Amino acid sequence: MTARPSGPFSFPESCLSSECSSLDLTHRPTPVVPLVAHEFPPMSFDCQAARRLLDEILTALAHAPASDETRALLERLGSFSALSETQFTAAAALETAGLALGSMRLVPKEQRGLVGGKANALKNVAEAALAAEKQHAEEQRLARERAGTGFDATLPPAPLAHGSLHPLTQVTRELEDLFTSMGWTILDGPEVETEFYNFDALNIPGDHPARDTMDTFWVDTAPGAPRLVMRTHTSPVQVRAMQRLKPPFRAIVPGKVFRNEALDASHEHTFHQMEGLVVGRDISVGHLIGSMKTLLRGVFGRDIEIRLRPGYFPFVEPGFELDARCPFCKDGCSVCKRSTWIELLPCGMVHPNVLRAGGIDPEQWTGFAFGLGLSRLVMLRYRIDDIRNLLGGDLRFLEQF
Amino acid sequence: MKISYRWLARHVDLSGVDPQSVRAELTLSTAEVEGLEPFLPHLADVTVGHVLQREKHPDADKLSLCKVDLGQGEPLQIVCGAPNVRAGLKVAVATVGTTLPGDFRIKKSKIRGVESNGMICSERELGLGDEHGGIWELPSEVVIGQSVARALDAQDWVIEIDNKSVTHRPDLWGHRGIAAELAAILRRPLRPLDTSLPAAGSAAPFPVRVETQLCSRYLALEIDGARATRSPFWLRSLLLAVGQRPIDLLVDLSNFVMLDLGQPNHLFDRHRIGASGIVVRAARADERLTTLDGLERKLEPSDLLICDGPEPVALAGIMGGAASKVTEDTSQLLLEVASFHAATVRRTSSRLGLRTDASARFEKSLDPALPPQAAGHFVRLLQSEQPEVRVAAPPTDVGTWKDTSKIVQVRGTRIRQLLGAEISDDAIADILRRLGFGVDLERECMSVRVPSNRGTKDIGIEQDLVEEVGRIHRYGNIPERELIGALVPPPRDERWARRQLVRRIEDRLAGSARFHQQISYSFVPDTTVERLGLSDVAHVAVRNPIQQGAARVRRSVVPSLIALLASNRRWREEVRLFEVGKGYEPRAAGEPLERHEVALALARTPRKGDARFDDNALSLLQGIVDDVVRSLGLVECTWSKARAPSTWAHPGRAVHACIEGCDGIAAEVAVLEPGVARAFGLVGELESDAALACLSIDTLLVAPQRATRYSALPQFPATRVDVALALPEDKPAAEVRAALERAGKGLVSALELFDVFKGGQLAAGTKSLAWHVVLQASDRTLGEADVKKFLERVEREATALGGQLRRD
Ligand SMILES: [Zn+2]
Repeated sequence: MTARPSGPFSFPESCLSSECSSLDLTHRPTPVVPLVAHEFPPMSFDCQAARRLLDEILTALAHAPASDETRALLERLGSFSALSETQFTAAAALETAGLALGSMRLVPKEQRGLVGGKANALKNVAEAALAAEKQHAEEQRLARERAGTGFDATLPPAPLAHGSLHPLTQVTRELEDLFTSMGWTILDGPEVETEFYNFDALNIPGDHPARDTMDTFWVDTAPGAPRLVMRTHTSPVQVRAMQRLKPPFRAIVPGKVFRNEALDASHEHTFHQMEGLVVGRDISVGHLIGSMKTLLRGVFGRDIEIRLRPGYFPFVEPGFELDARCPFCKDGCSVCKRSTWIELLPCGMVHPNVLRAGGIDPEQWTGFAFGLGLSRLVMLRYRIDDIRNLLGGDLRFLEQF
Repeated sequence: MKISYRWLARHVDLSGVDPQSVRAELTLSTAEVEGLEPFLPHLADVTVGHVLQREKHPDADKLSLCKVDLGQGEPLQIVCGAPNVRAGLKVAVATVGTTLPGDFRIKKSKIRGVESNGMICSERELGLGDEHGGIWELPSEVVIGQSVARALDAQDWVIEIDNKSVTHRPDLWGHRGIAAELAAILRRPLRPLDTSLPAAGSAAPFPVRVETQLCSRYLALEIDGARATRSPFWLRSLLLAVGQRPIDLLVDLSNFVMLDLGQPNHLFDRHRIGASGIVVRAARADERLTTLDGLERKLEPSDLLICDGPEPVALAGIMGGAASKVTEDTSQLLLEVASFHAATVRRTSSRLGLRTDASARFEKSLDPALPPQAAGHFVRLLQSEQPEVRVAAPPTDVGTWKDTSKIVQVRGTRIRQLLGAEISDDAIADILRRLGFGVDLERECMSVRVPSNRGTKDIGIEQDLVEEVGRIHRYGNIPERELIGALVPPPRDERWARRQLVRRIEDRLAGSARFHQQISYSFVPDTTVERLGLSDVAHVAVRNPIQQGAARVRRSVVPSLIALLASNRRWREEVRLFEVGKGYEPRAAGEPLERHEVALALARTPRKGDARFDDNALSLLQGIVDDVVRSLGLVECTWSKARAPSTWAHPGRAVHACIEGCDGIAAEVAVLEPGVARAFGLVGELESDAALACLSIDTLLVAPQRATRYSALPQFPATRVDVALALPEDKPAAEVRAALERAGKGLVSALELFDVFKGGQLAAGTKSLAWHVVLQASDRTLGEADVKKFLERVEREATALGGQLRRD
């Protein structure tokens, strides 16, 4: 219970009885009937009034024609009349009323109205008293149930096993929802990619030094066959998207990418990226800035200052590195390496050669693209200090999410 | 790449612009700055002292007792062990309390009974190099009492530029290039630099023959009278600041020119090159060359060589050979300044793993106009140190290079549109001119003359100039804009459908099924492949794996999860993992076949013998698959024994789920093959009831949706009957189920198997199947007679199945 978010209210004693065990703790409990009512005794049985009525019935019956039945009735009623005040209870009174009413045929006609009236009055008095008693008893029972003692609110809830979505899935979904809510499409592309889409179509021809900066896994292919790579970025989907979709369009592409790098706490040969691509009329750097601010607002829940600085990627021109003001500090911390800026994503205006490779006329259409490091974002979000945990498959890690 | 602040200041006036500002300006307009460090900060703590008097230490022959004037107060008494200390010398003094490199703190001390109040430093002690012959003798003109840094004007900062951020800018691989950027940003002029070649002697130009297109320019210059003396302090300190170890004046100047202009160059000892001269050619197969680092390199025809006649003497653009290098005895130099083919240099250097300052620059496509400038710069710098140096002969300058300067047409409207910023044509022209471009403003567009140092690769099209304008205008000055477009939902195509499907499956599995989602590497280790008996099955594989045995790409997601079972079972009684991923199957040509799968793995401590018949991993996984299929709104799946189970599947305990109306198997579920389980370590304490499932997203995507039709709520109460049938052991439950439904004659509204039992009073080879049966009619309340009739029919069906209705 201590682990639950503490609300502004506490649980009333009465709710801790067994009936309340299925109470939805996230809801405000209904107001409880105050116990004050039970401190007063119920409306008590007016014994004297009842006895008076009985005596009046007896008096009237005295004039009834004598018979065995009459005698027996008078005897029964008389025995009630002889009871002490404590013995003459509402139940006894009700019984006498019943006897009287059940024997009306013994009563002379002219007296029946009188006896019947008295007997009914006696019945009413007795029934009212009995009802009050019953209600009182019920209220006492409820009060006892509500009182419930010996309850330990800190006992652990029933241990229901849980499942989990991978943190990469959780963050990816957040971003997908953000972008789809703004009319972006979500695309997907193969992990085993052709050299054409991974490099050539992205303005990175064979001799380009940028190929060296992306330590590429080359797939073993037959001599002469088109060369394949483990895609080094999600950018190949840019050209695939252009070939499939007609501009204008906006799309994101989350997915796995591969770099032939040695593993350590901050380097992985497999990690996750999310590509973004917008192609439209008059798309400008201003739109890129606006969209990236929206993205960060979605990720961090508030406005984050950004800056663009020149960055070189052959498939964009101009190309930028986007830095975000460190969301974790005001004047430098370990996350931002004391700089107050976090290098967040490379981006830029789509290079005309890339648009052409996708069959789009760069004179008619322009666009921007970005490549968000999902793995890095997940690490930032959860403060994961070792990237190898992400794909390591250790339940002790996965269960935390 | 390290850049020295003081070095930049040789090219542009940086007064009022501190190193932090330089860093900020470069970051926002030019390149990524990775670091900024003061260079030898302790030089500011060391003071210029004047040795007034030197005496021999009374108790030690090799020690001197010095009185050193520090410009204020009484002269200090310092004990010094250097042989070259003498009266009249200006020296660097570390006073008590100063900390020198290596966390060496100077304390007041007594050396052989004599008090010493500081230390007279050698260059090595100050981090200035390897020189340790004695204390550092400062020039006589330095001011006593000033810090050494100030007195020698050696205060410097090292700016670390991220090489990756300037791969496209060959012009930025030297200090002058960076300084030109700062000049443009700060609106200050770049200082003129005279790089013209001094008058040459009358000897015949040195013979050079270029036999390949891969060397577009080769300039050779004979220089006489140079000596490999020690470099002056200004040169040594600048080189040290950028991480270059000073060697001697000739080597140091060669390096300096490269780091200044970005143009690598090479010095040969003229005497060691034969009279036939230099030949530039491609290497021959199996040719070998020992490079300056002492390693013998095996060459290939794609490598470019500089040869002395037939003999290779240098790997063009990468490293010289050991044989022809400049030594202390060298007096006649041959300076090589050339333009080599960028990709050729890059390929050779990466193949040989030989990355040098020279190769890093050549592979960026250097300006072919640079060689004569670099040669002139070198000679002029050398002459300022050694005035007797002469250029022996006019330079040999051969090759087929072309001027890389060009004209690019730029539209102001295009720049404004792409940047989304209102910048006037005049402002655009101003920015471009500051960057060294020539601009002719015309009516519709501008003609921009791109200088040769920007025209090799970097600037070729209009959009390249958009970047030039944007980065100097500063991207931070561009207003943000909202995307505006038609409000239409994204296309509901296959990708969209798959994503929806995957999300629902993930939610179901992580939710009610309580599985944990894993995302694995796409590579599958050879050990896993072998344990699964898949070694002979073709896999997509990479040629350059991260390590031996990690080249294969998985064909299916399942193996990734199997490999995780044992390690996780070590910590958990029960392991429930799932993964959504892709598998790849190679095809003869073209892209491999891509499969989208969901794999599930369940492994737990085996149940006791009296556990319910369905309390096992296989049954649970089947239930989960049923639930997933149902939750997707698909037609219910039907189960059958797997005909060709996967290698991970127990051959006798494997089932396939199919969905009527679509081809293909929707899911394979099986107990983990016992041999595989052992191979993966699920033995002993970790022995497990383990099963796996593999759902095909591709199949589920084309499976038909279940038609959900309302049926009226029952009007009459149902009757529940429990029946147990004793049957031959091999009688499938599905047949019994069908028999019970037949016996119900349409009255069976629900049927649940709740017990499977063997042994006890049952005959050998017999089993008992117990069912809850719910009977219901739509037109009446069923009575005892109906139940009796039902049981009679069940009895007949049981007999027909070779068993009997149990009455016990
Ligand atoms: Zn911070």
